[in-house]
Amino acid sequence: MEEGDKDRNIRILRSGVFTPLRRWGTKWSLWPCHFVTSCCGVELAHAFACGFDGERLGTLNMGISRQANFIIVEGTITRKMARALRIVWEQMPDPKFVNVIGACGQRGGIFWNSYNLTRPSEIVPVDFFIPGCPITPEGLLRGVRAVQEKIEGRDRTTIKFKTAELPSEGGKGKESRVPTTAKIFAPTPLIKVDVPKEVDWDFGEDLVKSLKAQLGGLYKSITITDKNRIAIKTTPENLVKVVRELSGTTGIDHVKNVNVIDVPHERKFIVEYMVSSYSEELMPVIITVFTEIGREAEPVFPSLTALWESVDYSEREMHDFFGIRFEGNEGMNGKFLLAPETQTPLRKDFKLEEERYVLEDGVPFAPKIELPSDLKMPVSEELLEEAEKSDDFVVLVGPHHTGSGHLRWIMRLKGDLIVDIIPDPGYVHRSMEKLAENRLYIQNIPLFERANISDPFNMNLGYVRAIEKALGIEVPERAKYIRTIMAELSRIGAFFYDSGILSLFTGHSTGFMYVWAIREMILEAVVRMTGSRCTPSFIIPGGIRRDISDDVLNMTSNFTSAINKRLRKFEDIFIYNPVFIARTKGVGVLTREEAIRYGIVGPFLRASGVDYDIRKVEPYEAYDKLDWEVTTGDAGDSLGRYMGRYEEIKQSLRILKQAVDAVKRMPRGAVISEEVLGEYREASKDIKGHLFHAYGNLVLPKGEWTSVTEAGRGTLLYSIISDGESNVPYRVRIVTPCWMNLRGIIEASKGERVADFWAVYGSFGYFPPEADR
Amino acid sequence: MIDINTVITGLGIAGNQVSIPIIQQMLDLLPEIPMIKLIISFILWKPFFAALICPGFTTLGILLLFFPWIERKLCGRIQWRVGPHEIVWWLGGIIQLLADSLRFLFQEVIVHKDAHRPYFLQFPFLTFIPALLPLMFIPAGNIVAIETPYAIQIILAVVCLFPLFILGLGWASNSRFAFIGTVREAFMYFAYEVPFIIAVLAMIVLYGTSDPVGIATKQTIWGIILNPIAALTFFIAAAMATSRMPFEIPEAEQELAAGPHVEYSGIAFGLIYVLCYEKAYVLAGLMTMLFLGGGSGPAIAGLGDLSGVIWFLLKVVIVLTTLFVLRAIYPRYRLDQGLSIGWSAMLSLSLIALALSIVLVLGGVI
Repeated sequence: MEEGDKDRNIRILRSGVFTPLRRWGTKWSLWPCHFVTSCCGVELAHAFACGFDGERLGTLNMGISRQANFIIVEGTITRKMARALRIVWEQMPDPKFVNVIGACGQRGGIFWNSYNLTRPSEIVPVDFFIPGCPITPEGLLRGVRAVQEKIEGRDRTTIKFKTAELPSEGGKGKESRVPTTAKIFAPTPLIKVDVPKEVDWDFGEDLVKSLKAQLGGLYKSITITDKNRIAIKTTPENLVKVVRELSGTTGIDHVKNVNVIDVPHERKFIVEYMVSSYSEELMPVIITVFTEIGREAEPVFPSLTALWESVDYSEREMHDFFGIRFEGNEGMNGKFLLAPETQTPLRKDFKLEEERYVLEDGVPFAPKIELPSDLKMPVSEELLEEAEKSDDFVVLVGPHHTGSGHLRWIMRLKGDLIVDIIPDPGYVHRSMEKLAENRLYIQNIPLFERANISDPFNMNLGYVRAIEKALGIEVPERAKYIRTIMAELSRIGAFFYDSGILSLFTGHSTGFMYVWAIREMILEAVVRMTGSRCTPSFIIPGGIRRDISDDVLNMTSNFTSAINKRLRKFEDIFIYNPVFIARTKGVGVLTREEAIRYGIVGPFLRASGVDYDIRKVEPYEAYDKLDWEVTTGDAGDSLGRYMGRYEEIKQSLRILKQAVDAVKRMPRGAVISEEVLGEYREASKDIKGHLFHAYGNLVLPKGEWTSVTEAGRGTLLYSIISDGESNVPYRVRIVTPCWMNLRGIIEASKGERVADFWAVYGSFGYFPPEADR
Repeated sequence: MIDINTVITGLGIAGNQVSIPIIQQMLDLLPEIPMIKLIISFILWKPFFAALICPGFTTLGILLLFFPWIERKLCGRIQWRVGPHEIVWWLGGIIQLLADSLRFLFQEVIVHKDAHRPYFLQFPFLTFIPALLPLMFIPAGNIVAIETPYAIQIILAVVCLFPLFILGLGWASNSRFAFIGTVREAFMYFAYEVPFIIAVLAMIVLYGTSDPVGIATKQTIWGIILNPIAALTFFIAAAMATSRMPFEIPEAEQELAAGPHVEYSGIAFGLIYVLCYEKAYVLAGLMTMLFLGGGSGPAIAGLGDLSGVIWFLLKVVIVLTTLFVLRAIYPRYRLDQGLSIGWSAMLSLSLIALALSIVLVLGGVI
């Protein structure tokens, strides 16, 4: 793509007869086209909702590029999205303006060395950058004003920063270096996913015995790796048989995770499936069935799609990442999550750029990024031909569409009915799993949080719990309760986010505004607790960063009453609105069996009648000490899914109130476990100043550490594989609820009417950055 | 030297003047400059006044400039925010639409490769015919451009042409979203048209005339009180016809990215953007005429014929505001739900309204 002329649009405004009128008109009528590219979109929504009301400035969010004249690029532009960005920009009429918000739109921010990243300024001419990760709504509006001033002729130059001398380590005369904790990569790490562990778990021992009897000669070994975790080693040939046996008689009915681990020096891949059951007694047990295959260019492996449809997308993802061909899966041609030109990036021989820029002189700050060479966003030719033959209508929705989110839906319609939908995700795939392999354990906390900034605490909590599990740390009681408060706040925030999106999808902007006002209160509570609106990184291994004052706790408790009050208004205008009920009732029904088969998780699974909530099944933090109930429903339609979550939020408010009261009663004390702090014991009340010293060289014991938590939108699974020597994880696998729910959206929408797709999509609370990671 | 009064009488505009007592003296005092007198007589000639000032172009223009602003402001208030504000902040951003329209006027108009170029560019302008023509027949008080006993039939005929032009817009765009939107528009058209016409018919039966001025004089009791069912049907049909929530089905920004308008940019879109408001204005005028007593109301001293104009405008604004506030209250129905409302609920309502009218007429109420 050629370099755009940067000031062309301003010149267009300044030419011609009616210059003052043109400038004035354009200045007050900057309509941003609705092009949400990444997670900063959450803050964009806040900027245009009732808290900040961007419409004051005359900027009206317009869904269509032809009628807009302003793009606000929200954060990361991935390789796939780069094409979309250029296409959207080309479609807009002159004069047009581009603002880039968020740190990753400039130099990549926290994802600076990601393999899937491009820089928007190399794709379209940018008028103004607004830094921040994520930006605040005020910052965004300031950017709009800056463009207005630019149109008027007052061009703001970049702020000049003060230069600071970095302290040198070696003293005078020596080369100046920044003190960092060096990463330690073990040269030939020993990777084992079935490290046995002595635990007090009678049921597990019985289970292992019965499994051994049942599987006969199909397995190589069965080990208990932790409480509620069993690993079964088998051969590639026997894997399908083992799984069939498990699902047939043991009652294992769903897959939680498909994972591949590359071990280049032993010339093997470890392929593992984590399976579990929704039957009463086996609920907390996760069985890892794994096997080893030879490390070739394109190894072949039997697919489990015939058994469980839910593994389909995860297998395709692994095909993208490692180039393993799952025999029997239909999606093995072409890329699913990644851009077509990307090579198997999660193999260990695919190296990312290291942080050399700090250590060496003359190395440019930003890594070189190759831009995509074409604007093609391919659609399968066969599909088009077939649709042509059967008189179907193929519509491409997204990624720039008011109702698409950050992914493309290829819809096949027959009249007003949906015959098939093919998802095309990966537009916000920021390659977190690869980045995590190149960062210290502690550095990954803010990284994973960015998977879902509308539900940040739960994202943190899952990862941190996996580390704590590995190290065997017990968290102080006070910290446990505060973590519970935070997780629930975050869950409520995520629900309101999704309600807002659902109400927009059904065309109800008032509902969107109301819930965003409530979300503003939640963010206020989060700000007062942690200092950050969306990305607090507050939960750390062993506890929380610092204690919370009683004032803030009181305020949080007051907020719960205020939220309850406003919820009633929201109920009146949206939830009990007859049109909303008509739109969602009986739409996108998934029965209990279907819901399990398609692998959907969380509140959406509960809406189909499965009583499975990890907070009850495998209680963590303070959930088992508080009085609350799991909400389940049996309708399984869009309304059921939404109302189920709504009831759950009422329970969350209950939990919140109890937890706040409990914390207030509790004596003040340590909030970080002293075991993990070691010699920095005095930091147990506030980690400030000691974080890097205490956590920089964290090394996890050898093995695979899996944590399962209930995030805002469902089961969140982190699986960390450590070699026991490196201070970076060997591999981190995140299975986010949205990624699992994608299949559910597709299946629930089939056979419904076109407009129903948005009612289904909205009811699933799909948050693409979380799904794509 | 030709006597100017003779010309005025000769043209036939002398006897049909808008009388405004408060400025009559001023007009009389005007010097005997021939052209001024002629121009003023022309402007105050009722048909010309109706076409040019009210309910014609001037009023329409002012309403178009301010109504989207009022809508945005009102919805903003309902949604706990302020709406357009910064542009002339001391007036609450009242000229927001001026800025928007200037921007559209000076922006590039993109005609994409796949579009049918002549139609694509013609239709936004052609659509003004059915949008503006009905204004000639709608009376503001006793001022009407073309007086005919078949006014309502003509208005109906022209208003019903409107969707055809929208179909043209969508078809010329040659885009998939525009196609779906166009088909939806056509479906909705069939759904609301029949109840709409029957509701109007009910009122014609009730009043026994379709002459607008005659209808106004017949409404000693307003039509909305005589036949509220017809009024309700008419209002819902108007919401459907102007693609208002909850029937914003053809445009459906979240589903179809504004349907038929998806490919339009610059001034072409600007025209389409105001079209919907024009149609709403025409339907609000019709509603005022049929159900709210037209320009009737207590005479304002000194204003003469203008009194009726002011009452008419006030009622129109109230109807329009009600229509626009719907956007902030309701989500959007699905296409099949919209159709079933049109073909079942509204059709039966309109038939009941017709029956009610017949009963009222036979019972001698009116």
